[in-house]
Amino acid sequence: MNGYGGSILRVDLATGNIYKKPTPVKLAQDFIGGRGFGAYYLFKEVPQGADPLGPENKLFISSGPLSGLMIPGAGKCDFTTKSPLTGGYASASMGGHFTAEMKYAGIDSIILEGISSKPVYLLIDNETIELRDASNYWGKGTIAVEKELKEKFGEEYQVALIGPGGENLVPYACINHDFGRQAGRGGVGTVMGAKKLKAIVIHGTRSIPVADVKAYRTAGRALYKACKEADFLSEWTRYGTTVVTSWCDEVGALPTRNFSAGSYEDGKNLYGPVMREKIVITDKGCFGCPSPCGKYSRSKKYGSYVEGPEYETIGLMGSNLGISDIEAVAHANLLADDLGIDSISTGNAIGWAMECYEKGIFNKSDTDGLDLKFGNIEATFEMISKIARKEGLGVLLAEGVKKASKKVGKGSEKFAIHVKGMEQSAYATHNATAMLLAYMTCDVGAHHNRSWAITYDLQVGRDLVVPEKVARVIWLQNFRPMFDVLGGCRLQWVELGIDRDLYVPALEAITGIHRTWDDLEKVGERIWNLTRLFWARENPGFDRQWDLPAPRFYEDAPRSGATKGQITKFEDVNTLLDMYYEQRGWTNNGLPSPEKLKLMNLTEFLV
Amino acid sequence: MTAIIRPTSALRVYIDGKDEVIVESGKTVRETLVTLKIKPELIALVVVAGEIKPKDYIIQEGDIVKVLAVIGGG
Amino acid sequence: MRLYVNNAKCSGCNACRVACSINLFEENNPKKAAIVIQPHFPSPGVYEVKVCTQCGDCAAVCPDEAIKQNSKGAWYVDFTQCSLCEACVPECPEDVMFVRMELANAAWKCDLCGDCVDVCGTSALWITEKESVEV
Repeated sequence: MNGYGGSILRVDLATGNIYKKPTPVKLAQDFIGGRGFGAYYLFKEVPQGADPLGPENKLFISSGPLSGLMIPGAGKCDFTTKSPLTGGYASASMGGHFTAEMKYAGIDSIILEGISSKPVYLLIDNETIELRDASNYWGKGTIAVEKELKEKFGEEYQVALIGPGGENLVPYACINHDFGRQAGRGGVGTVMGAKKLKAIVIHGTRSIPVADVKAYRTAGRALYKACKEADFLSEWTRYGTTVVTSWCDEVGALPTRNFSAGSYEDGKNLYGPVMREKIVITDKGCFGCPSPCGKYSRSKKYGSYVEGPEYETIGLMGSNLGISDIEAVAHANLLADDLGIDSISTGNAIGWAMECYEKGIFNKSDTDGLDLKFGNIEATFEMISKIARKEGLGVLLAEGVKKASKKVGKGSEKFAIHVKGMEQSAYATHNATAMLLAYMTCDVGAHHNRSWAITYDLQVGRDLVVPEKVARVIWLQNFRPMFDVLGGCRLQWVELGIDRDLYVPALEAITGIHRTWDDLEKVGERIWNLTRLFWARENPGFDRQWDLPAPRFYEDAPRSGATKGQITKFEDVNTLLDMYYEQRGWTNNGLPSPEKLKLMNLTEFLV
Repeated sequence: MTAIIRPTSALRVYIDGKDEVIVESGKTVRETLVTLKIKPELIALVVVAGEIKPKDYIIQEGDIVKVLAVIGGG
Repeated sequence: MRLYVNNAKCSGCNACRVACSINLFEENNPKKAAIVIQPHFPSPGVYEVKVCTQCGDCAAVCPDEAIKQNSKGAWYVDFTQCSLCEACVPECPEDVMFVRMELANAAWKCDLCGDCVDVCGTSALWITEKESVEV
């Protein structure tokens, strides 16, 4: 099949049985690749009620038709599983070079099944595919192990691996790659750890078959030309995602002290230009990317090399913890990466713990003697380690803020900032109803990257609750994740503003199939409904309560900053949901109606 | 005394679809954006001669001021 | 004329290598490219790029006279003439002469097509007249 690796690789970690089958043509037609394959396989192959850490759960790793081609941002790999953090759908997208190498090895999806009796790593080297003993690597951090594996096998080999966080089954453990990229959220690394799989090492030397090489070359070159001519290419490359830090602070979106406010009085020390000057060495990019957003940095103060911090980590491990030293944030970032835990969930959980401590819900005997106040950098470093190793207070925080706050009680649930059990990422939504709705309805929990709608809030009016806002969120949710399905990156469209129609001839020249963005968004809508069905299937009684935001955003107006005194009304939260369900064709309880399922061709997925 | 404002494509609708517009120098970026009916809070970055400037920067004669709208986010 | 690179601007994206393989082989396979990108991570955290300097040392030793000059004056391998003897490989001062028999039936090298320059988003690559004094 043009544009595809050609095979689905199944690895049973319990029996050691490994085999490849040709990628089904119908699967590629209906679900295209990447996140689409993941959603399909998750629903079809993981039985209802499976324990996320048990042998019935699977980890689906998928490239897409754009991966490994001469297309801007052709480096995204999807990891899909049943989430140990939320009990629902998890899908995390990892940049770098792994997804390209999958295509060169002739693989579209890797399906990891069962649980190994001892730690292993998976080696894929063209037709040699083996499970090997990983006892030498188990227990070690991701940086050192990736370096060892690259030295052992060679630079052409790509590595995806977990750290102690995944090995210790922290529910928000991540998968790392290329010294700085992660499949971060929802516990995809946890599932890999539960299977006792330390790493995947992959190498392939095939060429990717393409339908029309000349047309592909022309269309690819046109995409690169558009990127290189974009107005703000050099600024985007210079600052990456940190380009929004100052803006978020200015408009009250920068999470501060456990999302108690959206502006940080010391925020200036965290802004992009300050970070660039203090620590950034190299603009590091993913496969095929002309606008490398990775800011590879070195902190002289701590001696740490790290890719980052990204805006998200600056938000959750900087302002959210009352920390204004960008070098400290960089070091915290490195600790989380090396230990293999999601920097967003980790920063959010520590922020919750800090608020508990400052409110007297925790005292020093609960915090292992740590003075866990906002701004305590050393305590933050220690907590990251304790969480990854499940030691002391880390045991509680490693459960995630939803479960932890339920255990602790004493009002701490009111300031546990999550949706569906996933810790909210770095946009404070006290008064930004489209972004709030985006977090409420995101398909994996409170994550921002499906529908980044906060500028729309500012364009049309923050507190407005109108059908247009809801339509915007829905459109973004149907559209943006399609990049994950295609195995590419959305940021060239998002940040450089290139014309998305430039992708259409490229996709056609590669796969031989003509698809417009209308066609792609229909697939996106289909996947959205399917993953919603998955949540409902796995959580009896799943209803609109699951879509509610953290109470802080309708009860607790900030006392300072750009959104001082501003808060969303709870009745507006419900109005937003009502409008959302109506526009999506769902019942008033938030489930796809039978008519909608028929329209989406999803009736085969019903039990 | 004049200067030029060059906004990202998303904002060109505010200046009749053109690439750039001539403005009076001597005012802050913020004030100038308001006169163009562009909400300052939509702007993520202001760049003059390759350097990032705050929105309170006073535009000098002959400056070419690039303004980046926040379209996307990470 | 020759290709130049500024390592400090390289982001490791490999777009250049895919463009190169399409030019040389009409295939999408960066392992069949004539540029080498060597990452140095986690420390010092930079990419090192090797490109052909068009020195001609490879052509000088080729017993089959398979390495010729094209209309740009750049040295390229005539695939029909190459006997895979590999005499050229150790001669290349930049290690950008490639023989991998599992991938191609001839040696390959940069022919100065310029496609890599066109797709390099950070402008790390450019083609210009050779400097009169090579360091």
